[in-house]
Amino acid sequence: MAIDGHKIVQAVMEGSRIRDAKGIIPIFGVYLCLFFVQYYNRLSFEFEKKMGKTRRDESARLLIEAAQECGYATFQGIRNSWEWEEIVQPMIEKKEDQILGFTAVAVAFGWGDLEVKELIPEEKLLIRVQDSYEATGYLQGYGLADSGKCYMLRGVTAAFMDLLYGGQYPEGCFAFLAEEPFCRAKGDPYCEFVARKNPGFGSP
Amino acid sequence: MPLDWRAALTREGHRVILSGLPIAMHCHHYSINLQRMLEETLDSEGVGLLFRAAEEASLLGFRSILRQYPKIRTVKSKLELASTVYQNCGMGIIHFQQIGPKGGIIESPSSHHVTGWLAKHGGRHSPGCHFARGWIAGVLEAIYGKPLGSYLVTELACKMTREPKCVFQVKEA
Repeated sequence: MAIDGHKIVQAVMEGSRIRDAKGIIPIFGVYLCLFFVQYYNRLSFEFEKKMGKTRRDESARLLIEAAQECGYATFQGIRNSWEWEEIVQPMIEKKEDQILGFTAVAVAFGWGDLEVKELIPEEKLLIRVQDSYEATGYLQGYGLADSGKCYMLRGVTAAFMDLLYGGQYPEGCFAFLAEEPFCRAKGDPYCEFVARKNPGFGSP
Repeated sequence: MPLDWRAALTREGHRVILSGLPIAMHCHHYSINLQRMLEETLDSEGVGLLFRAAEEASLLGFRSILRQYPKIRTVKSKLELASTVYQNCGMGIIHFQQIGPKGGIIESPSSHHVTGWLAKHGGRHSPGCHFARGWIAGVLEAIYGKPLGSYLVTELACKMTREPKCVFQVKEA
């Protein structure tokens, strides 16, 4: 059975409308909140700006790491939740299908139209996104970029591979690293994220 | 007039839209990771950035929500709407009890950021609801028709520091 993204979107939309007496949305094993993408874009791109050109690589690394750690913990919670068990698990036939489930949840969360273009088990994951909110936000607020700007999606792509092939949770975060060779923010027709094994992972 | 959340929160293809503006759903891991990274890397500048980003987004967002509800005219109704939106977005509970155009006191017995911070890191030594401070400033600016930067919001007590509730003081900038 193929992963039915529409079913997952529906489940997330319904679940996001249920909050407890404290105004918290507990769904898929995490506490969810809904807020304007402008907030997340502002945080990322103003952080980068404040760090300045000399610390540009560091700011990108920190933003990607924050997202990768988040993606690793978030999707671990998601795949262990009763909602996953009930809605997604019946559609999963092989280990790699989990990635399709993860991307369907990411689409449901409003992160963009993620599409898995290539998955080589234990080696490589390629995700293409035509409409990443990060790229759109950068173009709208700052103009054309000279490097990829979708730090959240870049970290999350690597986290997907960490969860499948990084080994026992929670030891596998950063077993993979992702690049963004194409980004709409720098004029490309779409954004692409490629996760591969981190050669430095596990070394002292 | 009750908030029609089903009509307010919609999808346009892969985009999630709240009152005409794109939103994203993120979990406490991301909210708290970003906050901690900004605080550790930029210290007070990072805290300022968290406040300002939330203020800008909530000012713009709540203006858009108010435009969709033109029948909501009184300040009291607008404050109630803001409280409902905060809760519906999974941000927590917020009470605008002693507030006016010049400022006042706002209380929050629970929030996404407090729950998330405590779940990930346990308590902390200084107040940490920078998002809520910014959100309050932006929403009040939208309600009272003031420009960005009109309010200063200080957190007098914070549940992240094991106080029973978060208390915010609002003053004109």
